[in-house]
Amino acid sequence: MMNTPSPFQLQQKARELRATCIQLAHDGREGHLNGALSSVDLVAALYAGWLRISPDDPTDEGRDRFIFSKGHACTSLYAVLADRGFITMDMLRQYARDQTPLPSHPCIHALPLLDCSSGSLGHGLGVAAGRSYGLRLKESPARVAVLLGDGECNEGSTWEAAMFAAANQLDNLLAIVDYNRIQSVGRTDPLNGFASYEDKFRAFGWAVQTIDGHDYGQILGALEAFPLAAGKPTAIIARTTAGRGVSFMEDQVLWHYRVPSDDDLARALAELDASPIHLELPVEAAR
Amino acid sequence: MRKAFSDTLLQMGEQNPRLAFVTGDLGFQVFDEFHARFGPRYINAGVAEAQMINTAAGLAAEGFHAVAYSIASFATARPFEQIRYCVAYPNLPVTIVGAGRGLTYANAGVSHHALDDVALMTAIPNMTVVIPGDPGEIEALFPQVTALPGPSYFTVGRFGEPRYEAEEPAVLGRARLLRQGEEIAIVTMGEMAGEVLAACKLLAADGITPVVYQMHTIKPLDTGTLDALARRVGTILVAEEHLPMGGLWSAMTNWSATLDRPAHLVRLGPPDAFALGNLTRDGFRHRMGFDAPAIAAACRKLCK
Repeated sequence: MMNTPSPFQLQQKARELRATCIQLAHDGREGHLNGALSSVDLVAALYAGWLRISPDDPTDEGRDRFIFSKGHACTSLYAVLADRGFITMDMLRQYARDQTPLPSHPCIHALPLLDCSSGSLGHGLGVAAGRSYGLRLKESPARVAVLLGDGECNEGSTWEAAMFAAANQLDNLLAIVDYNRIQSVGRTDPLNGFASYEDKFRAFGWAVQTIDGHDYGQILGALEAFPLAAGKPTAIIARTTAGRGVSFMEDQVLWHYRVPSDDDLARALAELDASPIHLELPVEAAR
Repeated sequence: MRKAFSDTLLQMGEQNPRLAFVTGDLGFQVFDEFHARFGPRYINAGVAEAQMINTAAGLAAEGFHAVAYSIASFATARPFEQIRYCVAYPNLPVTIVGAGRGLTYANAGVSHHALDDVALMTAIPNMTVVIPGDPGEIEALFPQVTALPGPSYFTVGRFGEPRYEAEEPAVLGRARLLRQGEEIAIVTMGEMAGEVLAACKLLAADGITPVVYQMHTIKPLDTGTLDALARRVGTILVAEEHLPMGGLWSAMTNWSATLDRPAHLVRLGPPDAFALGNLTRDGFRHRMGFDAPAIAAACRKLCK
């Protein structure tokens, strides 16, 4: 087990991770920065110690499982995996390139240490629930975490899975909803009838807590409290901001798809005052 | 066939402690003994086929062989993406069992017809597709599909279908010779074998003895046996209870197109249409011209 970094250390690191996401999107010519920047803190917090998993043996039978279900936002996952030593910086530099192990939606064949491919939405929670059930059958103490997008919660299959997890009392299952309130072509709340995710998961029989998904103290605190109730799956509704950390990206539908230009990249890195973790050279020289 | 299936499932559950069964809330009383004996390895996902398949995918990722069970139309079309994306793409050992394929539930209406299940399932890479024709083939083939390292689609009829004799055992991936014969051949799939064997009885009086193959494994297709068959007989009649696109006929024409001298193929089966009219299964087979008398008549015409 690694020592858990402090919230302050994580906050500092998060600026570099965000810079990494933006550099990857720029170099790989793939967008989806809204969801990457909104989810960075959640993924970093999970890998900072909650997930019992080691880069020395990432597919160990006893490890905790993690499914990054909102696959399009995977630059945040890749950045954290590289930062924690699960993949190399060289792999990170190949993001979205020809024959890459890191395509723009995670693929278990390209990167076998993943617990699940993702890209088509609405599957992660269902497969995670199946894994949770299987782990319990095996009497394994391992736990399953899954990161969902709020847009992804449009999918009916997410709610079939929510029903199944509660019906089977899967208290080894943690779902985190990255509630950044923006999806592909519009805002999430109007499409969802402005219903509360906390209310919905609770009505399905889950134990639920809503937090600020960018406040490491709150994220680590909620993770620490897992499971929130014995005999119930746990949901953390993380209130986040799409495009978090870069003023001109925050809360803009545009940045779901948009690929940053050279100028966008320079402005974003300057604002973050941080360098991508995978560039050997200073940012200016690398470009 | 349902009884043969539940008995075989029970045996497999006994032999393999890592076999789990997930139902989409179907099979009333059919799996009670499995449930009683294996407890949590029996899972009712509810009327939620997407979650039935994703539960199976998660179990398989954790080292189980998962069997997911529903009525064929609900087991295939409804959770198609879960099957393709969460089961087949990672190549997980999940067997999707479709009960009552084709027109088994004829007068239950189009919702319950599965005339496209083979098309859907064979379209998916990594998938093995097996359509047994009698209880004996269920007993022989189900243990073989649950030993596969990857996904499979397997179908089960209703209750009380007769067992038939065959010239050879049912082996996964091999066309099964049911009747030796000459001049003309009939290749069929699943429970249509019973209809074809009934046609053979009608033809005996005419001195016509078709070679009969039951193509229980539709994917991968046993093209070696078909190659040899095409050299032996002038015409192969294809009898299927499936739409013309993507079933046995499609598989056979795809195969034939690769031959230097394509085989002469004739099809009997339902047209490319929803089966309306609320007929019984026998009624539909008669109206659509693929019951035993229609098969016999086609053979007589071809043998003239």
